[in-house]
Amino acid sequence: MVSTFFERFWQKGQIAGSLDPETVIDDVRFVVIDTELTGLDQRRDSLISIGAFRMNGSAIELGTYFNRMMNPERAMNPKSVLVHGVTPGEVELEPAQKPILAEFLSYCKDAVLVGHCIDVDLFYLNKELRSLHGTELGNPAVDTYSLYEWLAGRGIVRPQKASGGASTALFAIAADLGIAVASAHNALGDAYTTAQIFQRFLSLFRREGITTIGALLRIGDPAGGGTRALPAGQVSNF
Amino acid sequence: MIIGELTEFLGKVPPFQLLDAPQLTAVAHSVSMEFYPKGTLILKQGGKPSDYLYIIKKGGVRVSRLTADEGEVTIDYRSESDLFGYLSLFGGDKARASVVAVEDTICYRIDRAAVRKLLDTHEGVRDFFLKSFLNIYIDKTFKEMHDKSMSTSAADRIMFTTTIGEIASKDVITAPDSISIRDAAGIMCQNKISALVLNDANGLPSGIVTDRDLRGKVVARGRDVNEPVRYVMSAPLIRSDARDLCFEAVLKMIRYNIHHLLVIKDGAMCGMLTNHDLMLLQGNSPLSIARDIEEQQSVEGLVGVSRQVNGIVGMLLKEGARAGSIARVITEINDRLVRKVLEIAERKYGQPPLRYCWIAFGSEGRKEQTFRTDQDNAIIYADPASPHEADTAARYFSGFASFVRDSLVQCGFPLCPADFMASNPKWCKPLKSWKKFFSQWISEPTADAVLNSVTFFDFRAVHGEHLLAEELRDTLCVQLKDRKVFLGYIANMAIKNRPPIGFLKTFVVEKSGEHKDMLNMKIKGLAPIVDLVRLFALEKQIRETSTLDRIRSLKGQHSLVDEFGDELAQAFEFIMLLRIQHQFDQVTKGNIPDNFINPDALTNLEKKTAKEAFHLISRVQDLVIERYKHMIW
Repeated sequence: MVSTFFERFWQKGQIAGSLDPETVIDDVRFVVIDTELTGLDQRRDSLISIGAFRMNGSAIELGTYFNRMMNPERAMNPKSVLVHGVTPGEVELEPAQKPILAEFLSYCKDAVLVGHCIDVDLFYLNKELRSLHGTELGNPAVDTYSLYEWLAGRGIVRPQKASGGASTALFAIAADLGIAVASAHNALGDAYTTAQIFQRFLSLFRREGITTIGALLRIGDPAGGGTRALPAGQVSNF
Repeated sequence: MIIGELTEFLGKVPPFQLLDAPQLTAVAHSVSMEFYPKGTLILKQGGKPSDYLYIIKKGGVRVSRLTADEGEVTIDYRSESDLFGYLSLFGGDKARASVVAVEDTICYRIDRAAVRKLLDTHEGVRDFFLKSFLNIYIDKTFKEMHDKSMSTSAADRIMFTTTIGEIASKDVITAPDSISIRDAAGIMCQNKISALVLNDANGLPSGIVTDRDLRGKVVARGRDVNEPVRYVMSAPLIRSDARDLCFEAVLKMIRYNIHHLLVIKDGAMCGMLTNHDLMLLQGNSPLSIARDIEEQQSVEGLVGVSRQVNGIVGMLLKEGARAGSIARVITEINDRLVRKVLEIAERKYGQPPLRYCWIAFGSEGRKEQTFRTDQDNAIIYADPASPHEADTAARYFSGFASFVRDSLVQCGFPLCPADFMASNPKWCKPLKSWKKFFSQWISEPTADAVLNSVTFFDFRAVHGEHLLAEELRDTLCVQLKDRKVFLGYIANMAIKNRPPIGFLKTFVVEKSGEHKDMLNMKIKGLAPIVDLVRLFALEKQIRETSTLDRIRSLKGQHSLVDEFGDELAQAFEFIMLLRIQHQFDQVTKGNIPDNFINPDALTNLEKKTAKEAFHLISRVQDLVIERYKHMIW
């Protein structure tokens, strides 16, 4: 039953096509996401948790967040335990991925997805969605790292020299904007940080005259938007 | 985690601090967070009404209105944990004012439906938005202030929470006032009572006979005990309403120097309240100090007793008394002390050659004393009939007043630096001179005259021939009729001290010197209210001198008081209480009390209430400027 629902609404490309690129950013619904993974092996690794916030234009809804841990149904990579502090024992008690992913799909609806290096999140989300539900997230997506590179390239935000690459850049960018980071490396906390960065970025884009979702999607394209050219190994999303 | 952070923040912001944890969490779930870079126009006057109630998380905004004649007028600055947008949220089809972020600002926003739900389900929140902030919040702020600095036990508050009816003895023994003294004493012995209420021929209470009467008027004087008791009874009978609070009874007992009060309910006698009942209620008390004062026969004795008065302030604070009540109790006690000093002086210097009235002015005249302030007093004596009588009176009162001045200094009332004291020959005059002073000040309002006016016009009779003071008051009231120019000067005085309202995050405070970063509560808060209310009282020739009494009397007579009187009274009590607490802390630590408060030491609610109070003062000042605009410079 769940799959028929998705088949109707979540076919890849369908949603992207329904969004008029001239839509004013203020009228767009966004979902800012972050995921935690068992590791970065694209074949073996999987999702542990999903955290997300809805945004109406640049306003962050604080009460309707999505926050779920799940059983990855795969062995966890011991190295990643060190990073996000989720131990195998904890996730074993969590529900299975399938119903949570269904819930997440209906949470996102037709929103534009936003994330820091969101291609990584989308890769694992779609991998599991394909295998468990036979579908993918077809929503348009914006990468805040691509947005950052665009802004930094024009001197609108300060370039951050983050040693750990794009993911640690998230916290350097937050610190530079005066955003307090409450609990790093927790899907919901990182999604909150990302949402706040995105919120600030939107005000900067407004000042630059970038007000339509079409323009924002171009600059924030996860696949090589901005000026990014990162070695594969550095694209981590812990 | 994020919701926890939010509820913790909201939990400190009125009116959300009134919500319990589940209610707060429910509200938090309908909150969104928005970022407004510096310069963003968040709401536009005349534009779309607000869809949200905004709570500033970080940053600050300016609220302004466009007016026809003055252009853009800044109404307010709001900062962290302040609200905006609620007026236009429910107040119709367009925004009432413009709101601009004056720095990068982050707001929490609660949508209309959620605010509506809160208003429908939570009375405290409804009060907050629908009624005046000051009227409602003052009580909560008082409670918070008392909770903060005082450990209050239930028993401590009892004087201000117990009605007279609750503790008065219900079985009052009465007897006809025609029975003999001996029979009356017999009834008192039989019933083991210290006072007997006596009824006249119509069965109505006409007086009371107490142990003290029997001792002083009968036994000590060897009076015939077969005489009718009405010859020795105390009359008239002092009454109290059963619904009054006990501290009112204390005031009456101090004022009339009595120990028994007849308690009236719905017009009928329902009981008797004795000082013993009150002492049982509260232990060490203003009443016992008043009694101690009464028993002293020398200035040295009074010095000892007067030291206890500061302790009374602490006790009253602990009991949760309002500032106005504290000031009234302290005024009664201080008056008693001054009267006792005057009685001692009369004994020492002999009967005065002419009737006289000892008057107090300044804060003492307004009954707004708390901790000892400078002496502000003068003597009015009856007009002498001959030059000889004038000489005699001047000589007598000169020595007399100097003795009183020095005695009061010993009792802890410092000298007046401006020499506004009866010992100064200038302020010890016959009635006709006083009348001349007053009319001269009014008709020729020089700088000195205006200063003298605002000081002396708050005068009040403390001791002696009150009629002299009343006659001077009559003259003053007549003189003040249609004196627009004089009132213009007084109006200028009342608007001179503008309270601090243009502050962001903190108050605008003293800019330099010893009290840098401190807020002068007297100059910036109390003085403007006193000055405004005095102006209104002079405009309408009101006889009362205390600020709160003046406001009460002006009701129905003065449009500004009708509109703002209640709030001004609340604001006055609030600022006064802040000051009393501050000074009490200093006195307790052995420091000299001053008026400088560190705004950082105030709680959010206190700050907010202070801010509201300052706004109110400023608004009323603006209206005064409007009324006197041709005479304001």
